Amino acid sequence: MIAEETLVHELKQRESQAKAFEVLVNTYKERLYWHIRRIVLDHDDADDVLQNTFIKVYKNIEGFKGDSKLYSWMYRIATNESLTFLKQKSKKMRIGDEELKTKMVENLQSDAYFEGDEIQLKLQRALATLPDKQKLVFTMKYFQEMKYEEISEILETSVGALKASYHLAVKKIEAYLKED
Amino acid sequence: MKKDKKNSFNTPDGYFDSFHERLMAKINNEEVGKMESLIPKSDGFSVPKGYFDGLAEKVLSQVGQHETKVISLKAYRKFYYGAAAIAAVFLLVFGITWKKEAPVSFENLASNEIDAYFETNEVDMSTYEIAEVVSFDEIELNNVFTHEVGEENILEYLSESVEDIEELNLDYSNYE
Repeated sequence: MIAEETLVHELKQRESQAKAFEVLVNTYKERLYWHIRRIVLDHDDADDVLQNTFIKVYKNIEGFKGDSKLYSWMYRIATNESLTFLKQKSKKMRIGDEELKTKMVENLQSDAYFEGDEIQLKLQRALATLPDKQKLVFTMKYFQEMKYEEISEILETSVGALKASYHLAVKKIEAYLKED
Repeated sequence: MKKDKKNSFNTPDGYFDSFHERLMAKINNEEVGKMESLIPKSDGFSVPKGYFDGLAEKVLSQVGQHETKVISLKAYRKFYYGAAAIAAVFLLVFGITWKKEAPVSFENLASNEIDAYFETNEVDMSTYEIAEVVSFDEIELNNVFTHEVGEENILEYLSESVEDIEELNLDYSNYE
């Protein structure tokens, strides 16, 4: 695998940019897709947001100074793109954020790319009740199996606060799943 | 029954002999409990077959469309000189006698006209797009208020009405 510094250097050079960008997309497409998908839930929406994320990365790579890791910078863009997408969606549908979250979960029942059973659907309903940040921390830790240090760099939050958020999220989800 | 010499409390026979075993059994049970958490291990999402295979090409073609085409001005230079000369002559001839009309500027617009524009037109700009045209350094919170709001008032408001400041979901446009 190509070193991150080399990849960033090549992305900034006009002659090597296209090839390096292809490497970048192929390296991170799946990880970023699943991160986005767990926020927007719908596959087509995730596809749109993923493409926008890579376009933003391409347009802003000149400004990337390397203060943070490339992947955490891209995760940050993907997170912001996903949350902005949901805000625009609720604005277009003229409904509130909470109503949108409920609709998104209900739409999963007829989604061809959701193979979850009743428990998994209930898990999505539980996740919809959490504040955005808590939901993000939970999905990044539980499903994406990321380290607290990595999440800390992406969400720019202390490891201690993340651990507290995760613990709280698990308790709330378990309590929701126990309900009839 | 075993009796403590210094006080009147006592413990069941063999309590301390089997303590370690019972403790380990409890720890094991908790570990199993964790493993058998109510939360499912998978969230049930899937993707269309072969979706990731064609993604790089799709994104690269999108990037190509977003790149601004650079058009050389050299070829048009002569034309611009000619057009500028003709425009200068017209300005000289008609400019003197032209009835002066105030040019329309942003200041001429009534605030209700501006409001009506935003009401009737979909201004579909993301925070990134706004950040691209408005420098962050130039933005002051008080620019959007008609009456100046003191910092202590803002802090007082936030401490009263926000439970967790991290849940404000602050947006980062610059990524660095």
